[in-house]
Amino acid sequence: MGNNLYLVGVGGQGVVRLGQIIAAYAIEDGQKVRLFKKVGMAQRGGPTLCEIRIGEVSGSRIPPLSADLVVAMELAESVKALEYVKPGGNVILNKSRVYPIHIMTHPEKYPGEEVIEDLFQKTGAKPIWIDAKKIASEISLPIAENIVMLGAITLLSSFDKELMIEVLKKNVPRQIEKNISAFLAGYEIAEGTQI
Amino acid sequence: MIKLLTGNEAVALGAIEAGVDVVAGYPGTPSTEVMLNLMAKRKELGIHMEWSVNEKVAFEIAAGAAWVGKRALVTMKMSGLNVAADSISAIAYSGCTGGLVIFVADDPGTSAGMVEQDSRYYAKSMIIPMLDLASQQECLDYMKIAFDISEAIKGPVMLRSTTDISHVASLVDINGQTGRENKKREAHFERNIPKYTKAASAWCMAQHQDALNRLTYALDTIESKNYNKKYRINEIHFEPDSKYGVIYGGAVQGNLLEVLNRYNIKVNTLKIGMVHPLPENLIKEFLENKNIEKILVLEELDPIIESEIYRIAFLLNKKVEIIGKLNNALHYTGSYSFALVKEALEVLLDSDFNNQDKDLEELMPILEEAQDLIVARPTSFCSGCPHRGTYYALNTAIKNLKYKKDDIIVHGDIGCTILGMNKPFESCWTEVAMGASIGMAQGFKWGGIEKPVIAAIGDSTFFHAGIPPLINAVHQNAHVCIIILDNWWTAMTGFEENPGTVHLKETDTKRVDLVNICKGCGVEKIDVIDPYEPQKAIKVLEEAIKHPGVSVVVSRQECALQAQRRKVSLPKYRVDIEKCTGCQICLNQLACPEMVFHPKTEDHKAYMEISVDCFGCGLCQYTCPFGAIEVIEDGK
Ligand SMILES: Cc1ncc(C[n+]2csc(CCOP(=O)(O)OP(=O)(O)O)c2C)c(N)n1
Ligand code: SF4
Ligand code: SF4
Repeated sequence: MGNNLYLVGVGGQGVVRLGQIIAAYAIEDGQKVRLFKKVGMAQRGGPTLCEIRIGEVSGSRIPPLSADLVVAMELAESVKALEYVKPGGNVILNKSRVYPIHIMTHPEKYPGEEVIEDLFQKTGAKPIWIDAKKIASEISLPIAENIVMLGAITLLSSFDKELMIEVLKKNVPRQIEKNISAFLAGYEIAEGTQI
Repeated sequence: MIKLLTGNEAVALGAIEAGVDVVAGYPGTPSTEVMLNLMAKRKELGIHMEWSVNEKVAFEIAAGAAWVGKRALVTMKMSGLNVAADSISAIAYSGCTGGLVIFVADDPGTSAGMVEQDSRYYAKSMIIPMLDLASQQECLDYMKIAFDISEAIKGPVMLRSTTDISHVASLVDINGQTGRENKKREAHFERNIPKYTKAASAWCMAQHQDALNRLTYALDTIESKNYNKKYRINEIHFEPDSKYGVIYGGAVQGNLLEVLNRYNIKVNTLKIGMVHPLPENLIKEFLENKNIEKILVLEELDPIIESEIYRIAFLLNKKVEIIGKLNNALHYTGSYSFALVKEALEVLLDSDFNNQDKDLEELMPILEEAQDLIVARPTSFCSGCPHRGTYYALNTAIKNLKYKKDDIIVHGDIGCTILGMNKPFESCWTEVAMGASIGMAQGFKWGGIEKPVIAAIGDSTFFHAGIPPLINAVHQNAHVCIIILDNWWTAMTGFEENPGTVHLKETDTKRVDLVNICKGCGVEKIDVIDPYEPQKAIKVLEEAIKHPGVSVVVSRQECALQAQRRKVSLPKYRVDIEKCTGCQICLNQLACPEMVFHPKTEDHKAYMEISVDCFGCGLCQYTCPFGAIEVIEDGK
């Protein structure tokens, strides 16, 4: 039934880029892959979605309860992925928040981390939390937030770490050393949660 | 060679492999990327490609090239087919000598707004063979087949895609070659009045009959070239022990195969890849299978295949239960998800496939709870978007003229310009179809709306379909104010070039100034404003709205995203925190995504901040009553 990855976030966070790198990895690994992406209109800050299906699948979209891994790049967007988590599937949540204007003036209307954690717990999932923005900033490459997530995804999806680094080198033209540091940082955090 | 390609990328490559000589199109979701991909190879291929002014002209360019013997492709979204329809039906009668393929993409589920129009009707009403795409591989293969059929039958062929095919990527086997290399076609046109004009009824009826005959040749061609076997265009699969059948066509194939695999279901299937003309013999063979008692017809949008199944079953006197839209089992709207296809098969087989539904049921209350937590992210203009300045100025002008916002009807039009209907502007009231704002505004006037009526339209939309209604307004002396939001590009669909695009180095196109067009149409009151200078713009708009007759205001400034891409750099702005009172007036009037509001905390008062990504349009400085927003001087 393949390996299904469901990625959500908002425009500008590199969700689609992340999906493309994972798809490139799957091809490099000699597997079949399908990629669906949904980006809103040109503007930044709109919801984005990327679905990657690796292996023998024929539909273009991941059915409910069928994602082996759910990744949310933005905290509140994660609730949109709830329906897709496969029983026993993994969930990685980034702590980053992107506020639309009405939330800026009323931040209390934005769901907190505990609420989200609670919600996923109720479905039986145990989310892994990452503060990808903080990590990426520490490496002084704040835009590598998605690459930090890629590190965690690689571990949780049991992708080959070295091969993923090779793919990363091919797909990320600039600042590759820093990107690899971001990737390894994400990988290690995910490792830490597996003990 | 295997590559990960979206359907639209594969369509483009298919055209290259087919050796296309001329390509024309007009952008529109979900079809746009076919041209974008071809355009990227324009130099390398050395053939003529163009974003035409609208779909009708694009089609005529392609048809003209096909009349002189070349392989030509035209691309558009389903709405564009309505625009091009008049010319398409005439060419379908005459036929052509070169290969002519019309690529059209439908949008079930309306990923991009607009109507859920089913283009397959056009194939029927215009007597044109149509191939319907069911996978990304077919996008490549069927494009080549479409050209082969078109050349064989000497008439146009339509290739139809849908969003789930065009915008999804999967692995496609390509040969990577340019089909033109070994086939140089000479341009030649033979004078043949009865074929190429419509000047006598006898000729027209003969052409009509020719068109009908071409449909039969099209089916013969795929048979004789063995395309059915090689490419599974129309394919029957019989399952000896099953009394159930599924007849399907288009994008639904993916989810159907997945449901069949996942639940290990074996049923008889008939795949239909040529929707017009339908493979009548195959359908008969399928229906005549004695085992089959119950059939599910799966096709997105309208029951086009389904109604034909009823007809053929009636002719065969076959007793069969048909599940689909005509018995209200399936709906006409939206794209067909995995869950929907699964449900349909459960109805067909009269069984419950699994326990997964139970999991989903358990999840329902949690999903409902989650629903309340979803943070709305309304679409608004990009940072620095010139349209923001135009609507800000328009709203202010309306206020200065002592009208309330609810007094003045503004007809919006297609494109980024329609975002003026959203908060905080809420200027636009309507959106119909390309160019319709100008015609609708006149109808409102003649219908009796006494207060000023305004039309707001983008540059590409104006070129596409706004000129005839403008001429009409001048001719009838309608009292309407038309604002053309000229951002130089066809922005919303992905920044395509249009006739007003400032001369580009990469292309040898020539710029057409829409101000001259308006003058030429006889508009006497015409002004150009800069949306980044709202104070002047407001004055001009006030005058234009008051003008008794047709007035045109061209609000001109490049699309900010495109300007950024072209490395246009403007001075940035910042908020002087001392002066800022945290009143949020700037935010409430402009809603620029670069404005970050910090509510009051124990440590600091409420204040506004401008992010480092500020484009520098300067608009916000005009909104602040306290003069807190200031330009960052160079180097500071
Ligand atoms: C007949 C038809 N063709 C194409 C489209 C697709 N379409 C939607 S928005 C748009 C672009 C409009 O560009 P413009 O008027 O310049 O406004 P902008 O987005 O640049 O502000 C197009 C072509 C459509 N809706 N209808
Ligand atoms: S893409 Fe261009 S025209 Fe459209 S909202 Fe953004 S800046 Fe404005
Ligand atoms: S100048 Fe003001 S309105 Fe313009 S982009 Fe910058 S913050 Fe936004």
